[in-house]
Amino acid sequence: MAILTPTRPRQAAASGVTVKDRIIAVFPLLVLIVLVLLVLTQQPNFLSLASVRGLLESMAPILLLAIGQTFVILTGGIDLSFAVVSSLSTVLLALWLPDMGVGALILVPILACLTGVLTGTVVAFAQIPSFIVSLGAMGLWTGVALTLSSASTIRISANYDVIGWVTDMRIAGLPVSALLAILLAILISVAIRVLNRGRALHTMGLAENALLMSGNPTRAYRILAFALCGLFSGLAGVVLASSQYSGGPSLGDTLMLPAIAAVVIGGNAITGGVGGPLKTLVGALIIVVLRVGLNAIGIDPAYEQIIYGAVIIGAVVLTIDRSRLGIVK
Amino acid sequence: MSQSGPQVADAPATGTPSRTSGPTPPDPTTPGTLARVRGLIGGGGPAVALVVLIAFFSIATPNFFSVSNASSLLSQLSILLVISIGLTFVILLGSLDLSVEGVMASSSLVFVLLASNDRNDLSLGFIALIAGVLTGSLFGLLNGVLHVYLRVPSFMVTLGTGAIGVGLATVLFGGRAPRLMDDGLRGLGFGNFGIFPKLALIAILVLVVALLVQKFTRVGRYGYAIGGDEPVVRLSGVNVERYKVLSFVLAGTGSGIAGVMAAMQLGVGDVSIGAGFQFTAITAVVLGGTALVGGIGGVGKTLVGAAIITVLANGLILLGVNPYVQISVQGLVIVVAVVATGWSLRKRVRAIK
Repeated sequence: MAILTPTRPRQAAASGVTVKDRIIAVFPLLVLIVLVLLVLTQQPNFLSLASVRGLLESMAPILLLAIGQTFVILTGGIDLSFAVVSSLSTVLLALWLPDMGVGALILVPILACLTGVLTGTVVAFAQIPSFIVSLGAMGLWTGVALTLSSASTIRISANYDVIGWVTDMRIAGLPVSALLAILLAILISVAIRVLNRGRALHTMGLAENALLMSGNPTRAYRILAFALCGLFSGLAGVVLASSQYSGGPSLGDTLMLPAIAAVVIGGNAITGGVGGPLKTLVGALIIVVLRVGLNAIGIDPAYEQIIYGAVIIGAVVLTIDRSRLGIVK
Repeated sequence: MSQSGPQVADAPATGTPSRTSGPTPPDPTTPGTLARVRGLIGGGGPAVALVVLIAFFSIATPNFFSVSNASSLLSQLSILLVISIGLTFVILLGSLDLSVEGVMASSSLVFVLLASNDRNDLSLGFIALIAGVLTGSLFGLLNGVLHVYLRVPSFMVTLGTGAIGVGLATVLFGGRAPRLMDDGLRGLGFGNFGIFPKLALIAILVLVVALLVQKFTRVGRYGYAIGGDEPVVRLSGVNVERYKVLSFVLAGTGSGIAGVMAAMQLGVGDVSIGAGFQFTAITAVVLGGTALVGGIGGVGKTLVGAAIITVLANGLILLGVNPYVQISVQGLVIVVAVVATGWSLRKRVRAIK
């Protein structure tokens, strides 16, 4: 009988969690605390209600995108089309809200979910690396968004109230968009722990063959991960359209790097199997605090991109599980 | 047996006289020019598609088949071709370089800011040009080293370095596009040489060098082997790491040259100078027949792929088709091409991330 996954699981079973795993688990939280303290020394009113509100408002779409991406990264794949799908969602919302009202709010996330189903189906059935398929999907949906919007920003002319509450509503002074996103992250974490098949996506990332051989529908799990990613991209689109009063064919595109950075710096391994939405939440908080903090210590926002790039590479270098990589391409 | 006997005896008898007189038949040991060209650019599919497309647009639109349009086609093709040629070396490994747009932005700004410009007093002439190209090579080196020695998947590394490239360019950009004031340098890539756009001449030079590198150097030859079966190459004692890094340096250099070319064409250095090229270049490489799984393809095939994309873009605009639809079509082309080449490799139990 072939041994499917030789060293790692046995190690893990013997010693529980390795020291490296523990450090990686705590590290993002430490980074977040240190960052907040650093920013506090520069901006004593950083934790005031107004400041936190602004912070959470800018975090909401990034967090939603990042939670969606977490599902795919847990399986060991990546969906590069997620930010573009959120842009497409804002365009669809802006086009349909005036006529359809609440219907558009329901239909758009469903369509966004279906884009994920499509990507996932191609990945699962044609057995092609997900970054290539989602790169193609990225082009496809960019073109669709540009064509539908004639490459311009569309103001939401009527029925803005249907999505307006996402931006305007406050609970205890905090924006409801971010609170809902955080609530979703917590609910999903609970679901992962409580549900019978809760850790199916983790197992996909760790030992897909084992999962398949024990009679699980791995293709369906893979499609599910991409579908959830699409759904959350659609929700991020709703938040974006609400905060901008409009839809635009590249409204969400700039969030691609911060969202991926949030996932990896939170401690989700891009090799799959390790992580969850709460790690992503910490990652998203780090990214937004970093952004505000850079401003506070007077660093030109132009350096933001350099930092995202460095953060992505650095976090991946630290969290990647090289024992499970064969040939790295 | 009795039938095959005479045939074997017959072959040299009919073969010998024809070799001494008249047109030589194709010889299996030394392929004819046509066969050699076919080996280079890939026979069948892509080349036929290119000819069909040219024929179609020539008939469908009155302006397509003209000297002026041919000239504009060539200059549209040039920058895309140079990027795609660089990318080919990386895709042959089975890897991917997503840093094209960031690298182009950085190298265009480094080039313009070191040459005579309206921002500072520097005027380094050719050194600026070399520095611009070397910026690309350095990004390539960074990509290669991070990918190969830290064992991070190339698309992830280059996603990060691409962002770093855009960031570096944004810092250099400083709010307003610096203009290139050195007419001598700009003249290298701007305007026409006879009916030939000068950019096309640069692209042809790059193509020739790339073909020679692919054919006659170790990095070119080993690239195929590494993409085909890396463990075997490693077992045969080849320093796989070195040649992988070098392939990434070639790709970075291609993007660097492309950034400098774009700056010559537009007369400015700009953060968004490479916008849209990343995607088109990958499509061009794949359309030409270089497989994203690695090991199959080549620079000559990429020429055909880039030409198809350029002809299609130009022809569809002349026909009045919405240019944004083309981005969607390119996305579909990438997926369909990869599905088609990988379909037979599917297995019942195979974990693909």
